[in-house]
Amino acid sequence: MNVEEALRDAMAAQVADVQAPPMLGQAIRRRNRRHVVRFRLAGAALVTAAVAVGVPVALTAGPGTAPAGGVLTGTNAGGTPGASPIGADDTVAVPGIIVPDLIGKTAAEASPILKEAGYTVRVTEITTDEAPAGTVYGQMPQPGTTAPAGAAVTIVVAVAPIPSPGATAGDAPMPQDLGNLGDGRTLGGVHVGYLPEGLEWGKWSAKDGFGTRSYTTSWAKPGLEPGMYSVQMIVYRKQAAEDFAKRLKGFAAQGAKPIEVDGKKAYLMNVSEGGDRVIDGGTRTIAWTLAPGVGVEVMMSPDYVSEIGDAAADRELKKIAAGVALDK
Amino acid sequence: MTEEDEAAFDEFLAARTTALLRTAILVCGASASDAEDMVQSALEKVYRHWPRIRHDNPEAYARRVVVNGAISRARRRRVLQEITFAQPPETSVESPDFGLRDVLIAELRRLPARMRAVLVLRYWEDMSEAETAALLGCSVGTVKSQAARGLARVRARMESLEGVSA
Repeated sequence: MNVEEALRDAMAAQVADVQAPPMLGQAIRRRNRRHVVRFRLAGAALVTAAVAVGVPVALTAGPGTAPAGGVLTGTNAGGTPGASPIGADDTVAVPGIIVPDLIGKTAAEASPILKEAGYTVRVTEITTDEAPAGTVYGQMPQPGTTAPAGAAVTIVVAVAPIPSPGATAGDAPMPQDLGNLGDGRTLGGVHVGYLPEGLEWGKWSAKDGFGTRSYTTSWAKPGLEPGMYSVQMIVYRKQAAEDFAKRLKGFAAQGAKPIEVDGKKAYLMNVSEGGDRVIDGGTRTIAWTLAPGVGVEVMMSPDYVSEIGDAAADRELKKIAAGVALDK
Repeated sequence: MTEEDEAAFDEFLAARTTALLRTAILVCGASASDAEDMVQSALEKVYRHWPRIRHDNPEAYARRVVVNGAISRARRRRVLQEITFAQPPETSVESPDFGLRDVLIAELRRLPARMRAVLVLRYWEDMSEAETAALLGCSVGTVKSQAARGLARVRARMESLEGVSA
């Protein structure tokens, strides 16, 4: 059997029993609603402001002609703002116009559509890789809702994020979010007092890669390719620290036994690539809460562990952890 | 989103989710639950853009989101896996009856995320080099070299095992 066939066979066997979970459709729609709701709240405030401005205009356009029910009258869709006021004969119950769906269109396509529908266009940008750059990622108000002519519709246009840590070793620059850290031992308000001998700063650092406010950098043996690490540390603060605390609880729930490091409870275990599972063959990791609202995680690369041995790896991780302190 | 869109999305889920989940498990080399979460968030993105993409190969879009999500997730974790090509076989930790499949999967897990993704796309999804390159946003040359390196490592593993059992 050649290697391609063997691999194909092994992969097929590995996932043969995997089936999609039931009720996935509902779960996805629920998640999507959560996403939309956040937008909707912001959108509501915006529409309110637009209507408040819009009302006097409508009143001067046709005083006393507003039909029962308090529905706004206004220029027809496509009407030129500032054109002659609508006469009484023209008064129709226009319960606002239905906001068109612009998600996925380019900003250049979206603006004329909105203008033609009688809206004012506002553009904001969001840095995301969830939509192609230059396309509309979100809009306020939501498509399908109604908004009076003249209201401002904000389109949120996706902007490509700055590329994250290198594609492969050596062919992309490493991020330098925190600038020159000197010896690399102080980041996120935390100082690393001890590092295994022979390691030097990896000359990169990233901010918020592990949630908002998180800081990370690494130390490596001299001569490793850029992007390789021997020891990596992540400091969690704010929301990221809250998420981290939940993960710590998850480790405990999976049976990880806490150890004591400098009087604090820490977990020393092998962690999956996702960072939330305790598994054999994962990355050797020590994780603990340094101070209220400050979580720290230190991991050792599998190659460095096999180089110094399992026992030494655990010893070193504990010593690194004991040496970590809030930066004064 | 019209009712017809919604119905078509449900059909898409029913037809494609299992395949996407399997690919995600292989690419991220992680547990089914890690992968499930990733597939769910990828499918949420598909859902959000569904009216636009439903007639334009939504499966390819979903696969791209899943694979790239798996890679960046793996990479976030270990900045970059160290690549040691001359890895000595660790025969001591493996019992002789440890199946070939398990050994290959273990070796696959040890590969850097993108190299693993290349192998999964090429040999599990049966995608061509050009398709793989397009999905990963890299050159065909990169796909070739990553596949060759990855296969070489898996092959070395296989041979060392055959040597032991012989």
